[in-house]
Amino acid sequence: MAILSVFPLLWIVTTAFTPNDLVLTKAFRLLPESPTFDNFRIAFTRFPVAAWIWNSLVIAGLVTAGKLAIAVPAGFAFAHMRFAGRDTLFWVIVATLTFPTIIGIVPLYVGISMIGWYDTLAGVIVPSIAYIGFYVFFMRQAFRSLPAEMFEAARLDKAGPLKQLLEIAIPNVLPAIASLGVISFLGAWNIYLWSLLVLDSPEKRTLTIGLKSFIVIDDFEPLWGPMMVVGLLSMLPVMLLFLLAQRFVMAAFTGRVGE
Amino acid sequence: MSARIRMAKLAPYLFVGPAIAFVLVFLYAPVVFSVGLSLTDWNFISPTMNFVGLENYRRIFADPNFRDAAVNTLLYCVVLIPAQIMVPLALAALILRVRNPFLAGFYKSALFLPTILAYSTAGIAWLWLFDPLNGFFNAALSALGMPTSRWHNDPSLAIWCVTFVTFWKNFGLNMLLLLAALVSIPKSLLEAAAIDNAGPWRRFFTIELPLISPTFFFVAVTTTMNVLDDIVGVIDVLTGGGPYGQSSNILYYMYERGLSFFQFGQASAASVIIIVLVLVVTLAQFRMFEHRVHYES
Repeated sequence: MAILSVFPLLWIVTTAFTPNDLVLTKAFRLLPESPTFDNFRIAFTRFPVAAWIWNSLVIAGLVTAGKLAIAVPAGFAFAHMRFAGRDTLFWVIVATLTFPTIIGIVPLYVGISMIGWYDTLAGVIVPSIAYIGFYVFFMRQAFRSLPAEMFEAARLDKAGPLKQLLEIAIPNVLPAIASLGVISFLGAWNIYLWSLLVLDSPEKRTLTIGLKSFIVIDDFEPLWGPMMVVGLLSMLPVMLLFLLAQRFVMAAFTGRVGE
Repeated sequence: MSARIRMAKLAPYLFVGPAIAFVLVFLYAPVVFSVGLSLTDWNFISPTMNFVGLENYRRIFADPNFRDAAVNTLLYCVVLIPAQIMVPLALAALILRVRNPFLAGFYKSALFLPTILAYSTAGIAWLWLFDPLNGFFNAALSALGMPTSRWHNDPSLAIWCVTFVTFWKNFGLNMLLLLAALVSIPKSLLEAAAIDNAGPWRRFFTIELPLISPTFFFVAVTTTMNVLDDIVGVIDVLTGGGPYGQSSNILYYMYERGLSFFQFGQASAASVIIIVLVLVVTLAQFRMFEHRVHYES
């Protein structure tokens, strides 16, 4: 099972380093015969791959920042503040977990076009921030694990709500915030259908949708080697991030999900 | 002082306000607009928008492509939902029994890796393996002297290729969630059961499974949603719904109607149908699992 799940990825790596004329003749080698960086050169010169990398980074970074900036205070309020309509508002947010991602795509597409966000990164980033159901839920659980007395004491010291959040609550849940950050980055790096619709000009694309232009560019046989180079570039950052942060994310998940 | 109290009263709303605003504007409002658009004949380019009542719904239900997509959706759900819950559960239980921590970590990462890839990355990996001319699978088959296949280009195989790639790309998340739940079960409980001569199978079904039922429920609900959702990305890169619509599903149908053919009315009608379906399925799941889920404390 483990081999099955990794094999296609190894195949990407192998092909990325195989000279293009060999790709089409010898389909059968895990280690390329005469490894080459030619495919990188071809990929970077024929397509604005550097711009794609930058766009992917900007989108993933800003979506993550936006989600955290919104979900952290909301999670805190739902966990430790009393206010009218709290439970209703909480469910309004969490119920969005059951929305298929592309369900509102038509009105959203029209709206984005009307305010001139078509073919802009903002058009991808801003609507993507809205999928925060899980994040708010998760942050509420994290803040709930902090004792209420902590904040009562702060209130006696006349610490305002913002001060309570920034100076007491957040420093105590940093691992939870960091794991959400990782999850969000992984997700946003891979946003596919929505960016495919919104981003049009070649230099505005991201790595994930840039890949698609390889698939459709040639009617006959696609450029497998350079294509795999872009595939490799699209998976390297998330793989590294995941391997580095794995322990962290697992620890944050353990015992929290499904409570 | 009074300003301070007013501030304290207002603060929670300032904290949750942005979150509420975002979900209302970008998630709820589009759904409401979809309902409205589904009753019109608007197609983005035309300046006029006429009220046509339920005409779009009638057209969709009469469209053989929609029927194919609906049947496929059912097929995808029937195969993928159980597979994406049972296989990860079995894998999680197996990984838990791997003694060597290094190996356990390796299995976990290896099995989870496909989950963090983009659809297009997963798509090109499999397009390349499936490639009829030079792909690995056909090269392997012919080397073994067996007939080659057209894989995702074969109308009767396409749907299974999509099913398999979707499974490959998504089982990892459920595996991690279930594993996290299994790990958090107190060891003492399992040891006590072992002393009482309960074998591994019995321990699994009488102790571990009931104790992780909240996570199991969570996984069941989210998997249903994900199966509907995730396939769209795989379909788009692998088959584009083809050949001849043989691997499409209703979300992809909606996507195509709306953004390839600009039939906004029909696309919106399709999305309304999907929303209703999702609501029904989710409610049914809550009903079904509600009283079976075991919550501790």
